Amino acid sequence: MIELRNVSKLFGQTRAVDAISLSVQTGELCVLIGTSGCGKSTTLRMINRLIAHSAGSIRIDGRDIEQIDPQQLRRGIGYAIQNTGLFPHWTVARNIAVVPRLLGWPAARIRRRVEELLHLLDLAPAEFAAKYPSQLSGGQAQRVGVARALAGDPDILLMDEPFGALDPITRESLQNELLRIQAQLRKTIVFVTHDMDEALKLANRIVVMDKGRIVQQDSPQALLAKPANAFVENLLGGQERGLKQAGLLRVATLMQVLTTAAAPLAGPRIKATDNLRQALSLMLWHRCSSLPVVDEQGRQVGVLRLDALLDRPR
Amino acid sequence: MSLPLRSNRVIPLLALLALALLWCLDFVSIQPNRIAPGSGLGLLAALGPVWALLLTGLLLACGLLALWSPRPTYGPILALVWLLLLQLPASLAWSIERHIGADLPYARVGIGAGCWSLLFLLGLLLIELQQRLGLSRVWLLGSAVVLALLLGWLAGQGWLEPLALLREYQSRRSQFAAALSSHLALVGAAVGASLLFGGAIALLLQRYPRAHKGSIGLLSFIQTIPSLALFGLLIAPLSYLSAQFPALQQLNIRGIGWAPALLALIAYSLLPIVRNTCVALQEVEAGVIESARGMGMSPAQVFLQVRLPLAMPLIIEGVRVTSIQAIGLTAVAALIGAGGFGTFIFQGLGQSAMDLIILGALPIIVLALLADGLFSLLGEGFSSGARR
Ligand SMILES: Nc1ncnc2c1ncn2[C@@H]1O[C@H](COP(=O)(O)OP(=O)(O)O)[C@@H](O)[C@H]1O
Ligand SMILES: [Mg+2]
Repeated sequence: MIELRNVSKLFGQTRAVDAISLSVQTGELCVLIGTSGCGKSTTLRMINRLIAHSAGSIRIDGRDIEQIDPQQLRRGIGYAIQNTGLFPHWTVARNIAVVPRLLGWPAARIRRRVEELLHLLDLAPAEFAAKYPSQLSGGQAQRVGVARALAGDPDILLMDEPFGALDPITRESLQNELLRIQAQLRKTIVFVTHDMDEALKLANRIVVMDKGRIVQQDSPQALLAKPANAFVENLLGGQERGLKQAGLLRVATLMQVLTTAAAPLAGPRIKATDNLRQALSLMLWHRCSSLPVVDEQGRQVGVLRLDALLDRPR
Repeated sequence: MSLPLRSNRVIPLLALLALALLWCLDFVSIQPNRIAPGSGLGLLAALGPVWALLLTGLLLACGLLALWSPRPTYGPILALVWLLLLQLPASLAWSIERHIGADLPYARVGIGAGCWSLLFLLGLLLIELQQRLGLSRVWLLGSAVVLALLLGWLAGQGWLEPLALLREYQSRRSQFAAALSSHLALVGAAVGASLLFGGAIALLLQRYPRAHKGSIGLLSFIQTIPSLALFGLLIAPLSYLSAQFPALQQLNIRGIGWAPALLALIAYSLLPIVRNTCVALQEVEAGVIESARGMGMSPAQVFLQVRLPLAMPLIIEGVRVTSIQAIGLTAVAALIGAGGFGTFIFQGLGQSAMDLIILGALPIIVLALLADGLFSLLGEGFSSGARR
């Protein structure tokens, strides 16, 4: 658990972070969002003491971080940044092995760990272990960046706009990857972004920051339902809010269940695990007011009607 | 007539120029003895019609190959240039064979302007080809080494005996060896010391960036002092010190000799080393340093494992520039009695002995080429994994 209490950071006269209090529960994926320059990165970097805070206290699992040796502290916290920051003169395997080596693991254990992580991030070890960062695509490099952050098996992961420089398709696949890994490993993650769709998709909790202060912190649903002020509303995309909210709900929650599974069928249909935003888009495209819902094997398991979307409780 | 769009014009131009100079200038000159005035021999007279026409044909072929094939095929041109280069020692041996008989035991054969021009232009052609083909710079070095080996072998066989350059060398073997060792010692000590001091200065400037502008300004100012003036300026204070402290005299530290030369060389070498090292250390991407720190590396680990290795190619580039500069400057240091190959150059200038001048200048050029190739190789080795 990470607790920030009345934490401030001054750079000369500028108050980059202004008396914020925040606690991130163990296993939670907390997203810091806000416009550029609002103090997100500064907040993140105070947690691993890359920046010293000017006032307030920061505790990790109850221990004040000022009591912990900064290098020791950082070896226990995964850190991934935009543009990867991979070491260009080391191979992928050596890059991933940085923290385990700093922790003094035996060579055999490091080798096993690197292989395990490459598998976890869907990079074939035989193909990628010996490559240099310059030989990777942006998405592959960022996967290595995430693997490197996970290498020492830290409880906490700090990620500063890790997918910010990627194209939309690659970004989406890495977001899915992160959700899959998080479901598997249950790390405590603080994730910085300026992209609300990314925040809504990933977060257990969204922390909206503006000018160094926390404006609102809530679950994605609660944030959408009750934005605290015009700034948050604007960040949520104003008129697109309805779609964003629909994007958070699974088709399965509103479909009418069929009692017996039917055979696979042709034509427009939607998966039970897809979200309502995708369902709405399909209905608009095919100009229909109901869609058959199918499971992973393509068998029909229910029907989704437009009425159900409109009639759902607030 | 229109040329194909993709044809190369540099190679034909160089080849044509080589051809013109080869035919217009003397290929070799012959003196009956060291005192007597020499007489020049043109290409035809020196090598006879067959060899002369062969050379002409090869050079024309180079130009035409580059010009007329729809896409210049650099491979065959490279082979031709190599052939031209390697025939140079042989052509000298051949002209000696043709013109120097047993009746001229003291005759000396000077290498003529035409021969030098051909060597120089072939060098330019090689550089052009190396760049077109994307070969490593070490490749040029290899060519020079092969040429030198061939020359050495022919000389060993006694075929180049009457070459004036060789005669000058043979009467100065021990001086040559001494010049080589003092030249190398001065350059090595200067580059080594400036790497040490320059590296330390660069590190200090990293820590105190406010001193950066002033220090670089001072070092640049030193760089603008003519070398001869700087050598001269050091004579007075060093003579004074040496007169005051006999211990210094024991070490042979006087107003003239190796001490002022080394000091001046270090002063000149600091700028390229400090500047390159500073730039190299700063240019390392901020994100890389940030993640190194974020992973929990200590400041020393960040420096030794990340910043320094990533800065290495540029630092070595600084050392390369510095050593080439020092090799050249050491020639001038001969004027204040520091030894080195400059001694031959200034002796030769005094005696108007062209071949003695060349005996001093040629090894300097070779040393510079060697340093260039060596440090290029080293730099390439360091950056191969880090290429972005
Ligand atoms: N090292 C620094 N020195 C001075 N000012 C800084 C420094 N780092 C950040 N700032 C300032 O602090 C504010 C917040 O920066 P940052 O946390 O990087 O914002 P972001 O939310 O975009 O990540 C900005 O106004 C920035 O200019
Ligand atoms: Mg930022």
